[in-house]
Amino acid sequence: MVSLNVMVARLLPMNAKTIAATLTLACAALWPLYGAAQPRPPELAANSRVAIDYIDPRLQKSQVTLDRLRKRQVLEELAMFLSPLRLPRILRVRTKSCGQANAFYVPSEWSINLCYEYYENLEAIAPQGTSPQGFTRDEVVVGGFVDAIFHELGHALFDILNVPVFGQEEDAADQISAFTMMQFGPEVARVTIRGAAYTYLNSKNPRTRTEFSDEHGAPAQRFFNYICLAYGGDQVTFKDVVDKGLLPQDRAANCVREFQQVRRAFAKTILPHVDLELMKKVQSVKWLREGDGRK
Amino acid sequence: MTCIARLALALALLASALPAAPVMAETFGPTGTPGTGPAPSGPVFRPTSPGTPAAPAAAPPAAADWGNSQVDIAYREPKDPQFSPIRERLMKRQVLEQLRLFLSPLKLPRKLLVQTDQCGADRQPYESGGAVTICYEYVARIERMAPRNQEPGGLPPELMVVGAFVQTVLHEVSVAIFDIFELPVWGREEDAADKLAGFIMVQFGKEVALKVMIGAAWFFDASDRTWTGNDFAAVQSTEAQRFYNYLCIAFGSDPATFKFLVDQNLLPVRRAQRCTAEYYKLRFAFIRTILPHVDQQLLKRVQSANWLMLDNPK
Repeated sequence: MVSLNVMVARLLPMNAKTIAATLTLACAALWPLYGAAQPRPPELAANSRVAIDYIDPRLQKSQVTLDRLRKRQVLEELAMFLSPLRLPRILRVRTKSCGQANAFYVPSEWSINLCYEYYENLEAIAPQGTSPQGFTRDEVVVGGFVDAIFHELGHALFDILNVPVFGQEEDAADQISAFTMMQFGPEVARVTIRGAAYTYLNSKNPRTRTEFSDEHGAPAQRFFNYICLAYGGDQVTFKDVVDKGLLPQDRAANCVREFQQVRRAFAKTILPHVDLELMKKVQSVKWLREGDGRK
Repeated sequence: MTCIARLALALALLASALPAAPVMAETFGPTGTPGTGPAPSGPVFRPTSPGTPAAPAAAPPAAADWGNSQVDIAYREPKDPQFSPIRERLMKRQVLEQLRLFLSPLKLPRKLLVQTDQCGADRQPYESGGAVTICYEYVARIERMAPRNQEPGGLPPELMVVGAFVQTVLHEVSVAIFDIFELPVWGREEDAADKLAGFIMVQFGKEVALKVMIGAAWFFDASDRTWTGNDFAAVQSTEAQRFYNYLCIAFGSDPATFKFLVDQNLLPVRRAQRCTAEYYKLRFAFIRTILPHVDQQLLKRVQSANWLMLDNPK
């Protein structure tokens, strides 16, 4: 356990269940359309200030997870995905065994730590085919893992770029994640937002008053925050979340405003550190591939 | 009667650390009877009474120097006469006039109307470019929830009313500030407004911080209810979360003064460990985004004023 003072931990819902598969990492494009494996654009170089590392697992059972992530080049693609970002220092991103299903950012070493256990937990909680609410296994594994990465990336950006954060930083990191998911077209948005939302939908909410002292929102609140930002950002693609009653009307009425709030915050605090030409390139890449989310 | 009982008890334990303060039913300070109360030890804002009392030390600013000229105020006539007494009390205490003084350091690029009104609900959310509205319904709710009589060793009911009222006013003003200065707001806006309000509340010394923060926390504690299902879709956080957020800001801002929150287990240790870091992030956000819009000289004058009449009479 890392000291509380030393890290901003992202405590994932302990009993979150999640799933399996191949991961994807970053984001972007058509997931359902995957035809043959999409070649990665050769012109996209990795961010030279992003240092990646697949650390050997402590338990043999996680070796298969490591192999899968490595084979899918999750960290290599993340380093490319982050190429537009101008970082003042080296950002470390590593996969490793943590002893718990978690992911966390450590400010003292500028490191994003993605636990094998978290990925394994996603595989465990994802529905076998399609859940009663219509969530697919692939969505949950891919979206859940992308969410963990983007959420921790949010903490990293707030720290490294000295971003002023007025609200709860945990919610802010969720906003970074959801907002980023919305920048790569409707298909990517569907898969990743829905996958992330599922992990919160299936986590236990605080039951005692003391449990509300956690600086993370309750999973139910996080669920609504994700689908609200998605609906606020694209009312056509996410029309069904309102039609099906997943997002109550009262909240839905506020979602465009919430999305604009996040867009403004992003434009004012993150975008000045982004190379816009490279960002366009990154946005045009098809990051999700056939088989992502599957073993 | 769970948490608050302990809160009250905890505060009572501190009684010796606090002066036997003049009553605080006077929201935001003295009312229109200057000179009758104990003389304050510092400069006091008295907008309507030039040439009034005893503002020792530095010469008190003339009333005309004070007050944010960009802030307009109005006490709207309620349709329902049951709210008339509330309106009269607020007017008598010059709540909005005091707020206008309090906001004097803020360099507003446009007019901002702050009003009290009957809203038909507890709150009337701020709309971009619109007015800040404090609803009589909300004030009535605060007053209704405060215990009628002080329990032995408990918090004075006035304290609860003042703390909760200050919290809601500063919360609503914070939302307007985000909009007017087009500030980047990360996190849920309602939480951000709570935190900015809380940050402001702890900038006026130990005693003010203790009283208004405990008063504000009390209100969320007393309002606590069970949340289920779609309740969680609300844009506001749960009362329990807001309660803990306020305690966390208080503790983070001054761990020595608010140590009792942890000792009494009102604020769980696990959260408390992070409160200093949370507070410094909040402080950083304030310095980075709001301070550039603040007149620092006026800010010092505002900070040295005796808003709640808490100082010991000399």
